[in-house]
Amino acid sequence: MTRSRLVVTASFAAVGLGVAVALGALVLDPARAAVGPMPGEGLALPSGTRFVVGIDVARFTSSPMYQKHAAKADLTPEAFAELEEKTGLRPDRDIDQILIAGAPPAADGPARGAVLVFGRFDRYKLSRAIEADGEKKNVSWKTIDGYTVYVFGEGRAKGRPGALAFLDDDTLVLGPQATVEEVIANRNGGGKGLAENAELVRLLGTVRPGSTFWMVGDQTLLSRMPNNVPSPMGGGQMSLPALKSLVVTGDLDPEMALHATGEARDEAAARQLADVVRGMTALIQLQGGQNPALQSLATAFSVNHEGAKVHVNARLPYELLDQLKAMGAQRKAAPPAEPIQ
Amino acid sequence: MSAEAKPLPPPVPFLRAAKAVFDLSLEEMVWSRKSLVMAGLLLLPVALALLFRLVADLKHAPAGIDLYGLVVAMYYLRNALPLASLFFATALIADEVEGRTITYLLSRPVSRASILCGKFAAYVVTGLTLTLPGIVASFFLLVPIRGFAGLAAFVPDLLRDLGVAALALCAYGALFALLGVLLKRPTIPGLVFLIGWESLANLPGWLPRYTVTAWVRSLVRHRPVDEGLAELFQTTLPTGEAIAVLVAITILGLAGAYGIFSRKQFVLDQ
Repeated sequence: MTRSRLVVTASFAAVGLGVAVALGALVLDPARAAVGPMPGEGLALPSGTRFVVGIDVARFTSSPMYQKHAAKADLTPEAFAELEEKTGLRPDRDIDQILIAGAPPAADGPARGAVLVFGRFDRYKLSRAIEADGEKKNVSWKTIDGYTVYVFGEGRAKGRPGALAFLDDDTLVLGPQATVEEVIANRNGGGKGLAENAELVRLLGTVRPGSTFWMVGDQTLLSRMPNNVPSPMGGGQMSLPALKSLVVTGDLDPEMALHATGEARDEAAARQLADVVRGMTALIQLQGGQNPALQSLATAFSVNHEGAKVHVNARLPYELLDQLKAMGAQRKAAPPAEPIQ
Repeated sequence: MSAEAKPLPPPVPFLRAAKAVFDLSLEEMVWSRKSLVMAGLLLLPVALALLFRLVADLKHAPAGIDLYGLVVAMYYLRNALPLASLFFATALIADEVEGRTITYLLSRPVSRASILCGKFAAYVVTGLTLTLPGIVASFFLLVPIRGFAGLAAFVPDLLRDLGVAALALCAYGALFALLGVLLKRPTIPGLVFLIGWESLANLPGWLPRYTVTAWVRSLVRHRPVDEGLAELFQTTLPTGEAIAVLVAITILGLAGAYGIFSRKQFVLDQ
């Protein structure tokens, strides 16, 4: 074999090995049952869910944003000591992921939703803590399909009773009692759950795993959003094309990074929406003038459309957010301008 | 008395001739000073990724997939690959002319089509040899900077990027091969094309469709935040259309190059 052939063979062997390892990771990934970033347990959520939000608690608590605000908001490990003593739970250490699922309220009905919490729980200590507060907080418990469901506020005149149940040692579900019972039924095979909601499952599949937080919402949720926004030029309203779906992912470390993908009804609507966002960033840039914070804000966003989809990327350093916050505070403190006579 | 003319040997079949040219060209291309420089250029992100892993505070580093996306979308697809294609593909025939070795090729009983195809295939293999390991190594160095959990989710991106890099090599290569047979000194016009014409991809409307880079960029999922015009008017073209256009550029570029090369008379400087 000539030396050139040897180089080519070695290179292709290295690429082949890399691809084989990557494919191996894909095939053997334990999270394959999951849909996008959502663990398989999330499929027990109600089929009527219209949006799902996910938070990676470990990434969130290690972000500079959390570190900065934790002390102010009394979220330090010392502050959690009492809770840990009582329930064995220290949220910043024991919770891995939170899933919030919901749907807009039906015609005069209440909003629907459930929260799944994944982590490591001391079931005994947590159950004891809930039961100990039973009388004081109107907590009762019952067993449904082998799961103990703690019901809060059962029989109260106002509002619906809330409930909490352990799906297993690592998963907790919270929400209105009816929803919690539906999740349990879905988990036991009594209902198809979220797997029945093909549109939301498709959207979840498009979410990039590994983000600190993410959100997907379908048309039902987005149809309630306003179609008109105040024009940045002032004196009027601007109509926005309706979105069929929205997928947002974000990171908080080392800066705040957001990626939103909205699906419009067609390419023309997507282009219009992209143009509106571009117009807004261009206006910020023009209004920014010599203000470096506004200039940075305008350049922090990038927009493009791909068929009927609009992608918005934003990278916001914390220094920039602090500058914008300070500007907002200054504006509030400044006396209102005298009207021109 | 005139000597009887020897009958011409029968032409070598196309595939055999192309393979012979491929073997010869691969030997010259892979083990050359130009390849060494290009290898340095194409493997630079691997060295930087290694340095990043050793020096940077990985706990507070940006998401690994974002860094890898930046390397693929900004470095490889926008700059390094087109540049490597320019230097290799424009030289496919031009180097033979400049080295006055084209006579040896053309006086053999092989068709000009087999010469061009053999050389182009050698260029593609050389390009892939130098590019793909860099992309794979960058993936494994950058994506798992916060751990291997979730790595599997990005494997489809890696496979896609490898395919797009191969397609970009072919499309740019065919275009620059055409430039190489069309012009005597194709490097400067090629650079002008890459720096000037390809910038149209950052403008609004239909203009990006007249560039190669806009089609290549649209095929990958990485969308790094741009600056200036590129940030304002980022265009993503439909995937199916992008693949068709790049394949068409490759076929038309090669056909054009063959059209010129098959008719061209090469007069060597004395």
